[in-house]
Amino acid sequence: MQPDDLANALRPKLGPRLRAVEPFEGTAGRVRFDRTAALDLFRAVRDDLGFGHLSMVAGIDWVDRREVVYVVWSDAARQYAILSTDLPADDAHVESASPVWPSANWHEREAWEMVDIGFDHHPDIRHLLMPDGYAFHPLLRSFKLHEPEELEVKARHV
Amino acid sequence: MSEMWINMGPQHPMTHGLWNLRVRIDGEMIRDVDPEIGYLHRGIEKISEDRHYNEVITLMDRCCYVAGFAWEHLYILAAEQALHVTPPERAEYLRTMSDELQRIASHLMWYAAFVQDLGLMSPFLYGMRDRDLVLDLLQDYTGARMTYEYMRVGGVRSDLPAGFTDRARKVLDWLSDRFHEYDQLCLGSAIFRKRCDGLGVLRANDAVAHGVTGPMLRSAGLKRDLRKDRPYAAYDRLEFDVALADGADVTARYLVRMEELRQSVRIVRQVLDWLDRHPGPSVADRLPRWLGAPYAPIGNEGYLLKRSYPKGIGFSSVEEPHGEAQAYVVNDGGEHPYRVKFRSPVFANISAARQYLVGYHVADIPPIMGSVDVCVGEVDR
Repeated sequence: MQPDDLANALRPKLGPRLRAVEPFEGTAGRVRFDRTAALDLFRAVRDDLGFGHLSMVAGIDWVDRREVVYVVWSDAARQYAILSTDLPADDAHVESASPVWPSANWHEREAWEMVDIGFDHHPDIRHLLMPDGYAFHPLLRSFKLHEPEELEVKARHV
Repeated sequence: MSEMWINMGPQHPMTHGLWNLRVRIDGEMIRDVDPEIGYLHRGIEKISEDRHYNEVITLMDRCCYVAGFAWEHLYILAAEQALHVTPPERAEYLRTMSDELQRIASHLMWYAAFVQDLGLMSPFLYGMRDRDLVLDLLQDYTGARMTYEYMRVGGVRSDLPAGFTDRARKVLDWLSDRFHEYDQLCLGSAIFRKRCDGLGVLRANDAVAHGVTGPMLRSAGLKRDLRKDRPYAAYDRLEFDVALADGADVTARYLVRMEELRQSVRIVRQVLDWLDRHPGPSVADRLPRWLGAPYAPIGNEGYLLKRSYPKGIGFSSVEEPHGEAQAYVVNDGGEHPYRVKFRSPVFANISAARQYLVGYHVADIPPIMGSVDVCVGEVDR
């Protein structure tokens, strides 16, 4: 599968909400989409293109914006595809992929607690790696190493 | 009977590491589970943003303490794509050999721990004895038994010592004679069969939907192995079969891992033959100088100058002993990676615990979770 195949299959469903499909070495391509198209895109990618396996959700803090990267795999095409959307830093939230790919659950919990990205309609959003009540988002660029923060850790199951 | 939540972990013999399995039980029946992780979280992704590209390799060994090589390889592949570096062919073969020796060591470690959980003591001793031979080999050419720091962006740190391939062949011969003994100890044991057959069933559809990969997925009959589907390093030039089973239960996972041990021995033999016939450089010759030596020679002021590199994004995935691991490395042109993201296969396999635990008994948890092969280091990162 080539980037053009992805674009041809997705363009009729998403229209301008599909921003671009770029070549990405080692994968079928990198699909950039508008966050309003999230669920439509996920369903199209899974049902029409056969990417039934969501491998990973990564949040990236670009300071002026946040990016969410989804990596999906198709057993038929034996290929990965990368989906990516940009979110404004002061209003970073996107629809959860959990209804489409149940495996998104934990990855989105991690992206939320590490990079402060909200996932709307997530079934079970709470801390995953950090203790409950942890107030920081460690993978934000504004969270500096070498500056230990005041930290109040609540017991987990009181 | 009233239901209640109990904690299995963080200190429980079943967990093999620090994590907590919260179980809602009704008598002896499992009604719901809620795995809880994070006890071993060291912030490896965050620390990586503060280090040079080659310095991250040190952290990769600590990511998974039974499969350090697989994680080094994973990171190196992504970093090379992000930095536009190509390794020489001999380095690819050396990495492939390291990966497969590591897979043997990891699966033997799993075998030893898993069978001990079932109450069989002698397989533990045999598994650890044979794993030690493999660790001796790794120590032979890397100097370390767990934290190798062997691979580098653009190649590997050093080539093989003299006589290594012969020593390795001896160990492989010894190992391949042992596998049928393992099978006799386990598959021939009524205790083993009663505690494993038909337990922890996870069918392929559920496994794919919940992101499960590796031996757990192949034990459900789905043929997916990145070494075949998306070959990296030298795997496209080597002959081997994908281990498959169709029971989707604990016994099937045992069968898959045992077959993978045999296939790994087969792969390493081919690589050793190739290495004997093809001497050559094991580090790329057109390499930025700092990549060849992670620490500055004394008096080299140039090392401290601010550097910049062409931007790039690297994405890699390798078939780690536990499943598919992925790395996403963003190079924004600075001297440190801008963002490093790792996908751990065990992370996804544990997150699906509800799918293969609910409906079984509490006493079934050790064999089922044992068959998942949990390595907490890579789950928490």
